Amino acid sequence: MNLGTIAELDYPVKQLDSCAPLQISIGNVPLDLFIHEEALLAPALRRYREFAQSSGNGFPILLNQRETPTKESGGFSYLLDDAELVLGARGAEFHGVRHEYALDSLLRILLTMVLLPQRGFLLHGATVVRDGRAYIFFGRSGAGKSTVASLSPEGSVLTDEISLVRYSNGCWQAHGTPFWGEFRAAGINRLFPIAGLYLLKQAKDDRAEPLSLKQGLRALLPCVLFFTAEKRAHETLLHTLMGLIEEIPCHRLHFRRNAEFWKVIAA
Amino acid sequence: MPPAAFSPERGILEGDRGMKGHIVRNPKLAWREVDGEMVIISPEDSQVHELNETASLIWKHAESESVEELAERISAEYDVSLEAARADIGELVAALEQKQLVFLATEVKS
Repeated sequence: MNLGTIAELDYPVKQLDSCAPLQISIGNVPLDLFIHEEALLAPALRRYREFAQSSGNGFPILLNQRETPTKESGGFSYLLDDAELVLGARGAEFHGVRHEYALDSLLRILLTMVLLPQRGFLLHGATVVRDGRAYIFFGRSGAGKSTVASLSPEGSVLTDEISLVRYSNGCWQAHGTPFWGEFRAAGINRLFPIAGLYLLKQAKDDRAEPLSLKQGLRALLPCVLFFTAEKRAHETLLHTLMGLIEEIPCHRLHFRRNAEFWKVIAA
Repeated sequence: MPPAAFSPERGILEGDRGMKGHIVRNPKLAWREVDGEMVIISPEDSQVHELNETASLIWKHAESESVEELAERISAEYDVSLEAARADIGELVAALEQKQLVFLATEVKS
């Protein structure tokens, strides 16, 4: 499917309803969440408070508002346990959302699709800011993302779990996300130019091993959040990832689960 | 001259028929050349495959050259006999077919 540009995604086909949307922006993607149920709205307000932003033209997301999902021809849908995301060119519907965790999961899936045509993606990684530049430490579960975040100064961590990478204003930038793991926090809605990408590998020493383009691509691919089986989407992702690693150095970071790793990064 | 048709046929390259055929990439796959080597993704199961230099060369030219032409290319590029190049391609195609990355399309004269 062609999701087009964000400008094409802006306006709903019709007046949605009288419910005032919860307006947020994640990775500079404005989203209007239409949530009727207080049991969902209250935790969503808490969870996304750092990302509240009035844009006036957010991409509309309707929660639990129809019995039968509206299927658009060529649209994308994804079933996650009992919850379902139905994405069209002008809006999305979330169905069967019973708690904030389901909402959070569907938002992540939605963002992977909306960011894709805009040279953006979500990555299993912690993002830490140092001297105004972002360092992304990525890897699968247990790689040490939360450890890296916990070893970093307070206020320097944009996320300990899901990094948002996007090309904008002529460079690759890391955005803060509300998607956190063990190191629970509301997140920081700021963006910083990316200085480096580090595949985490727990080891007995601290060293950064440069990765070739192919090694970098192979390292990143399993860590990208991606939910579509569409060929064209994968081609777009490959193009985006290559663009990133052609500009941003990628390393395998051998580290001992202590703060000494910063010395090899600074070196 | 009657139009040529291509029909998928599984199995390794055998004799004259195989050499006249084409190697066809699985159209469902997404791929990208990185430093002269192919990285291939199967979108349906998210499997990632890497090809070495020789396999990448064959992949790159698969659909524009016949198997015989590919054998000639490999023979010239790597200074090996045509027979050895044919054998290598046969082994490679068998391996790639097993992973459903390619199939062999044999030219059928009608």
